[in-house]
Amino acid sequence: MLAQQLANGVVLGCVYALCALGFTLVFGAARVVNFAYGELLMIGAFSTLTVMQTLSVPFFVALPVAMSGVALLSALLFYLTIRPLQRRTTTALGGELQIILVTLGLLYVLREAANVVWGTAPRQMDMGIHGIVLIGKVVLTKQRLAVMALTFVLVLALYGLLYRTRIGRALRAIAQNREGAAAIGLNADRITAFVFAVSGALACAAGSLLGSLYAVASDMGSSPLLKSFVIVIFGGLGSVPGAIVGGILIGLLENLSGAYLSFAFKDVITFAVLIAVLLLRPTGLLGRAT
Amino acid sequence: MSMLQKTSFAAFTLAMLIAPLLLGDYQAYLLTLTVIWAILALSMAIVLGLAGQINLGQAAFVAIAAYTSSVLRLRYGLDFWLAAPIALVAVIVVAALMGLVTLRLRGPFFILVMLAFAEIVRLLIANWQDVTNGPLGLRDIAPPEPLFGLHFETKIGFYYLSLAVLLICMLGLSRFVRSKVGRLLVAVREDDVLAEFVGIPVMRNKVLGLCIGASVAGLGGLLLGPFLTILAPSQFTLFASVDMIVMAVVGGVATLAGPLLGAAFLVYVPELLSFSSEYRPAMMGGLLILMTLFAPQGLSGLAINLRAALTRRDRHGD
Repeated sequence: MLAQQLANGVVLGCVYALCALGFTLVFGAARVVNFAYGELLMIGAFSTLTVMQTLSVPFFVALPVAMSGVALLSALLFYLTIRPLQRRTTTALGGELQIILVTLGLLYVLREAANVVWGTAPRQMDMGIHGIVLIGKVVLTKQRLAVMALTFVLVLALYGLLYRTRIGRALRAIAQNREGAAAIGLNADRITAFVFAVSGALACAAGSLLGSLYAVASDMGSSPLLKSFVIVIFGGLGSVPGAIVGGILIGLLENLSGAYLSFAFKDVITFAVLIAVLLLRPTGLLGRAT
Repeated sequence: MSMLQKTSFAAFTLAMLIAPLLLGDYQAYLLTLTVIWAILALSMAIVLGLAGQINLGQAAFVAIAAYTSSVLRLRYGLDFWLAAPIALVAVIVVAALMGLVTLRLRGPFFILVMLAFAEIVRLLIANWQDVTNGPLGLRDIAPPEPLFGLHFETKIGFYYLSLAVLLICMLGLSRFVRSKVGRLLVAVREDDVLAEFVGIPVMRNKVLGLCIGASVAGLGGLLLGPFLTILAPSQFTLFASVDMIVMAVVGGVATLAGPLLGAAFLVYVPELLSFSSEYRPAMMGGLLILMTLFAPQGLSGLAINLRAALTRRDRHGD
């Protein structure tokens, strides 16, 4: 029983970690709290489904196509709505608050747009992997194993991108010191747009995985958005390892408290633990003071 | 208040008093809706303007006031006028506790934790079936009992009650902003490090700002139950807080009239265009984006700019 709950928790945690990664990247590099992130997840799931249906290709072929589409959309949204605010100097409200307001607005607009394009009815998405695996007494569907494997691949790819490429180095430079990076000739706007694109691609992957595990629906974005908040606060805002560790911890916490304490109150317990963590470590478990 | 402000406030009060008598029952309903939204938008404008923060947990304060008062009335048979102060005290205590915890946190952490707090409150309401009736909600919430010979059972009576609450909040705030404590709050908002340095108790002032915002939100919540006659946890999601933000931002947070303007705009524009309600969220989102990008000071800011431009032209004409 305990082993089964732990295994379920880790699988759930992997998806959560993937959700939180794109969110934390954008915060780390651009200091943007993106409230529209959950909607990118939802649009990503619908895009994968649409590509699967129109081209009649399997999930794993459709996913990269949809990921590049959502990456473009995310970069476009940055150029249209967030960059003008980052350039503005004197404003009535603080610049950070204005960006939050705009992403909140995007949340509504994107969800309504999805309602118009794809309708409000939830849909099934079949990953094409069936059957179960027994490890000792623990039962896992092969689909869940595929979810874990895909998360692993994407995290590796992200680390490769951040630590093995020129643009990854530039991206980390921007995250550490925006003015300094600009002073040595890095184009902050272009790199930030690139971060938004990567974040969009990750959102699409996370959304598609969630969609294949549960269902694809226009209101599927809220819960992962809230989960991402909790995870990045747990792990430290802007920290990539923090998002991964935080994601798995939250997945475990949710499953264990749901199984042993109270299913109805499992989210309340998660949020209460979050507030307790912040009281003890105001910048999160792995976060540094900013 | 200046002479001009006093005159326009008096004229506005008079217009709002007469309006429902000339118009029908349905208009009285829309006006009440506007006034209650204006109270809620005002509470958000206080947090934005005085504390310099976005509070995505504001709906939780509304929910606590609405549910506490309605549960006390429905389950324990308390009078509205006895339940209301108890509910308000509950809101202020919760706000003070949350403030002590969250206002130490900088920037986005405050926003995210308040959002988590709002989710906790909503989930507790949805799952605490014995008291709150869970997702089905509370039903048949009666209008407030008569007080000092005044009756609130009719639509117009209830409208006057809501209007009185709004006017008291607006007057109280305009006095508060000019008071010593109000100015201290603004100083803390502008630069809390400097404020701390010159000896202003920053934490105490921030908590006070949050409590004032929460109690105004609570006043709106007290009216919400009797106005809608039903309360359900689905009314108090993140979107309720965002609606308040949109109204405050559309109207402008720099003036007291701003939130009222925003509330009126967002109640009457869909009404006049006879929008079906499914387009409302898209309109809210679009407005929020456009106003933030192109008119960050809101409608009232636009009006002030327009007046300034006109007087400048007059001077040039002389």
